[in-house]
Amino acid sequence: MIYLDSAATSFLKPRSVERAMSAALRHMTSPGRGGHSLAMQAAETVYRCRAEAAELFRVPEPERVVFTMNATHALNIAIRTLVQPGDPVVISGYEHNAVTRPLHALGAKLRVAKAPLFRPEAMAAEVRRLLPGAKAMVCTHVSNVFGYVLPIREIAGLCREAGVPLIVDASQSAGVLDVDFNAWHAAFIAMPGHKGLLGPQGTGLLLCGMDGTPLLQGGTGSQSRLQEMPAELPDRHEAGTHNVPGIAGLAAGIEYLLPRRNQVERREQALLGQLVTLLRRNDDLELFYDDAGQNQTGVLSLRSRTPDAETLARRLADRGVAVRAGLHCAPLAHESAGTLDTGTVRLSLSPFNTAQELEVAAGILRGVTR
Amino acid sequence: MQRDCLILLRSLTYAQRGRHVLERAGITAVLRRASAELTDRGCAYGLKLRADRLRGALAALEKAGVRHGQVFLREPDGSYREVRE
Repeated sequence: MIYLDSAATSFLKPRSVERAMSAALRHMTSPGRGGHSLAMQAAETVYRCRAEAAELFRVPEPERVVFTMNATHALNIAIRTLVQPGDPVVISGYEHNAVTRPLHALGAKLRVAKAPLFRPEAMAAEVRRLLPGAKAMVCTHVSNVFGYVLPIREIAGLCREAGVPLIVDASQSAGVLDVDFNAWHAAFIAMPGHKGLLGPQGTGLLLCGMDGTPLLQGGTGSQSRLQEMPAELPDRHEAGTHNVPGIAGLAAGIEYLLPRRNQVERREQALLGQLVTLLRRNDDLELFYDDAGQNQTGVLSLRSRTPDAETLARRLADRGVAVRAGLHCAPLAHESAGTLDTGTVRLSLSPFNTAQELEVAAGILRGVTR
Repeated sequence: MQRDCLILLRSLTYAQRGRHVLERAGITAVLRRASAELTDRGCAYGLKLRADRLRGALAALEKAGVRHGQVFLREPDGSYREVRE
C-alpha cells in the first residue's frame, strides 16, 4: 500500500515505537499506583515522555505537559476552561470540528475570521479586527484539509496585545513545524500523539500555560484524601489510569524526532513539490496548492472533474493508494475555501514516503480520473 | 552513621522532576512513596537523600522552581521527625 493519509494518522512509524509499546506491556503497570518496580518503571517512562515533549516544544516545566486521549480531549479541556456559555470567541475559518463542536455545545458566540486560502496576512488582519472584547481565541496552526499554515506567531502576538487568551490546535503541525510554547505564550496548545509525533492512536498532549479546569475527576495516585482534584499540574488533568503503552510509543516517536527537527519539514516540502509537479500533468485535477510555497505543509487537497471525491478515493484504495475524501471533519474550512459542496480528496505525506511512491500514486491517479 | 532525610512533594511528577534537578546538582536522591504517617493528604512521594545534602538540595529545588512539602529527618530508631528549613 502507498500510504498518503498521514494527516489522519501516521501509519509509517519508526520501529522503535512498536518495540517501546511491546516493552511497556511486558514490563510496566501504572505510574503513581504503587512503589514496586513495575509501577516505578512505568512512572519513569511517562516522565521521560513528558520531559522530552517539554524539550521539543520548549515548555519550561515538564509538569505543564499533560497526557490526554487525543487532541480533541485536550481541546475540550482548554475550551471548557476558558469559555462560558454565551462568551464571544474568535476562531479562524479553518477550524476542525474538534474546536467548533465544543464551542457550539457551550453556546459560544463565534466570531469567524474569514480569509482566503493561503493568505496569512488577510487572516491576521481579520483576527485583529475581531479580537477586541473576545473571551478567547481558538486557532489551528495548520488546516487539516489544505495544509495551510496559519500565521500563528502573529496571531499569538495579537492575542497578547488584546489580552485575549489563545488556544492553539497543533494537530497538524506538532512534529512537523516549530511549535514554540515559550514564544507564543498561549493559554493552551493541544495536539495528538498519533500524527506528526509518530506515536500510537489514543495519545495526545495538552501544553498548559495556565492550570485550567479539570474535565474529568478521579484518581490520580496523589493527595488521595482530597475530594477535589489536585491543584498541581499534570495531576489536575490526568484522572484515571494512564495509557502507558501508548505513552511509551509516543516517547519513542518524540525521541526519533528530537534530533531531526526541521528535517521533517524540509523532507515533506520536497515531497510536496514533487507531488504537485507530477499531478499538474493531469488536467482533470484541481489542486489546492500554495504557489508561493511558504504556507503549506505536506497536505494537498484536490478535486477532479469526474469522478466525485468519495468515488475517486475508493478507486485509489482499490488500487492500493490510501487517501481520505470528503469534508475531513472540517466543514468550516471547506466553506472558507469554497469546497463545501464537493469536499476534496486529501493526499497527506509523511517523511517516510518516497519519491517512487509518489510517482506510482500519480500514475494511478491519472488512470482513475480518466 | 550517616542519617537520611526525606523531602515530600505533592505529586509523582514533581518528585521525578525534583530528582532530575538534584541529579544535575550532583545530589543523589531516591524517589519513594511516602509512608502514610508522613502525609495528611494521602498518597505522596518523597525524595530520600543524605541529611548532609539537605540544605544544598532545598536550594537546588527552589532555584528550579520545584515546590516541595514537608521535610523529615530520619532518627536512629527509624522514625521520622519533621524539620523546618
